[in-house]
Amino acid sequence: MAAPMELSCWGGDWGLPSLHPESLTVMAYAKFSGAPLTVNTINNSWRAPKGDLPVLVSEDIVISQPAKILNFLRKQKYNADYDLSAKQGADTLAYIALLEEKLLPALLHTFWIEADNYCSVTKPWFASKIAFPLSLYLPGKMSREALNRILLTRGGPPLYSLTEVEAQIYRDAKECLNLLSKRLGTSQFFFGDTPTTLDAFVFGFLAPIYKVCFPRVQLQEHLKQLSNLCRFCDDILTCYFRLTVSGHSPAGQDTADANLQKLTQLVNKESNLIEKMDDNLRKSPQHPPRKLTTLKLAAGGEESSPMSRLSP
Amino acid sequence: ATLCFQAFLQMCNLPVRVICRANAEYMSPSGKLPFIHVGNQVVSELGPIVQFVKAKGHSLSDGLDEVQKAEMKAYMELVNNMLLTAELYLQWCDDVTVEEITHPRYGSPYPWPLNRILSYQKQWEVRRKMKAIGWAGKTLEQVLEDVDQCCHALSQRLGTQPYFFNKQPTELDALVFGHLFTILTTQLITDELSEKVKNYSNLTAFCRRIEQQYFEGHDKDSSTVAARSSKRSLLR
Repeated sequence: MAAPMELSCWGGDWGLPSLHPESLTVMAYAKFSGAPLTVNTINNSWRAPKGDLPVLVSEDIVISQPAKILNFLRKQKYNADYDLSAKQGADTLAYIALLEEKLLPALLHTFWIEADNYCSVTKPWFASKIAFPLSLYLPGKMSREALNRILLTRGGPPLYSLTEVEAQIYRDAKECLNLLSKRLGTSQFFFGDTPTTLDAFVFGFLAPIYKVCFPRVQLQEHLKQLSNLCRFCDDILTCYFRLTVSGHSPAGQDTADANLQKLTQLVNKESNLIEKMDDNLRKSPQHPPRKLTTLKLAAGGEESSPMSRLSP
Repeated sequence: ATLCFQAFLQMCNLPVRVICRANAEYMSPSGKLPFIHVGNQVVSELGPIVQFVKAKGHSLSDGLDEVQKAEMKAYMELVNNMLLTAELYLQWCDDVTVEEITHPRYGSPYPWPLNRILSYQKQWEVRRKMKAIGWAGKTLEQVLEDVDQCCHALSQRLGTQPYFFNKQPTELDALVFGHLFTILTTQLITDELSEKVKNYSNLTAFCRRIEQQYFEGHDKDSSTVAARSSKRSLLR
């Protein structure tokens, strides 16, 4: 039937199958539409990521951008939008444009430009997934591209200054989150009970903001106040990525297990120490006369031992 | 794009006068055109202008509920994202159009060699932006296809209603009108772009309706002058 399809994308952490919004969008769409994709996450191998990820390879066809990949999947009859009316299809396009214009700049900023976040989380994580020496170069390149994109689309000539734009993009992003929350309301997905392309895009953009632990988290805090969006992300993760999460337990659960092990070891060590101290204390009755008596002598006890004590 | 603002202000029943200035970009507080000059305040860009007008007591979207407002904003972003970028692409990245139409037009207020220098600078700026958002690799056909998709979406959303949100015009109507009218009336090398829009009869009817309703108060001359000035200020 359909040729085997392979998706190369960035891997995940913090309970997510991928940290990269576009990779996550494609993975989510594949799950929703039931497309059989083999997912290859980039790990520390010499097959350097060429060009932009995610990349879909099917027989000889190589497709790189999420919109094009989704189009290709639809042509292969993996269509998650089958039940949508034409108007809903139009709404999908509009909301995706909203996400790209309003939310993406702030997402890029949080990941790649905010100094604390970039240096302590993003750069080490991405660098660990790529082979040396590309790991020295590629994160920097991605950061520069993100900065470029933000400045050119949001900064106005002639100043192209980041500080002016920062406040504006976060305001826009928070407004966008509010709008999405209002649109979602209490339904499970954006168009009823089955997830569609729009859900894939929203999930792809929101989940990294929601789950990744950054030092500077103003966007995450705002998102956490919108409980229906958080519930939306969690639902998709548990329903559609459950298998991947347990398959990917090396990423998520093993670290939890490892942490638990470490904790138990620490606790054991502590309890061993405490036992030793107890033992010492129990054994130490042989010694206390020296110490205790000095104290007692201070209060007026035997005189002989302190004399012998004090004499060199 | 000036046309969007004129339409918007007309819909709010606010009188407006259009002035063309060569240094308009520098007069604007944010460097973007168009901007409005009211009393001693200067406001630029659609978002702030809408808010400014709202603060003065005129608003077109009061009758919408929250979900509809969200939809309206989403569609406005779609129009900005697709139509505006496509217009910019066509003016500045399509070599034929650039040579024959854009360079002469953009540089016309200035003497040589300033006209060439400024228009090359502008072109370089626009191409940088296209590269950053990933449109640099697109061919003309792909751009036209995107425009088609956008028009299709707008056409679906409009359906048979007079305005996008049924009875009352909103900012979205003004924005869509501005862009579509410009596309339909601007003379380019090829008519492909306007053909794409003409495929959707409800969109052309929509444009005609708004033009008749809101612009026929002015003379035909002033509306065409406004259209030409909008082209000049569209070259930003």
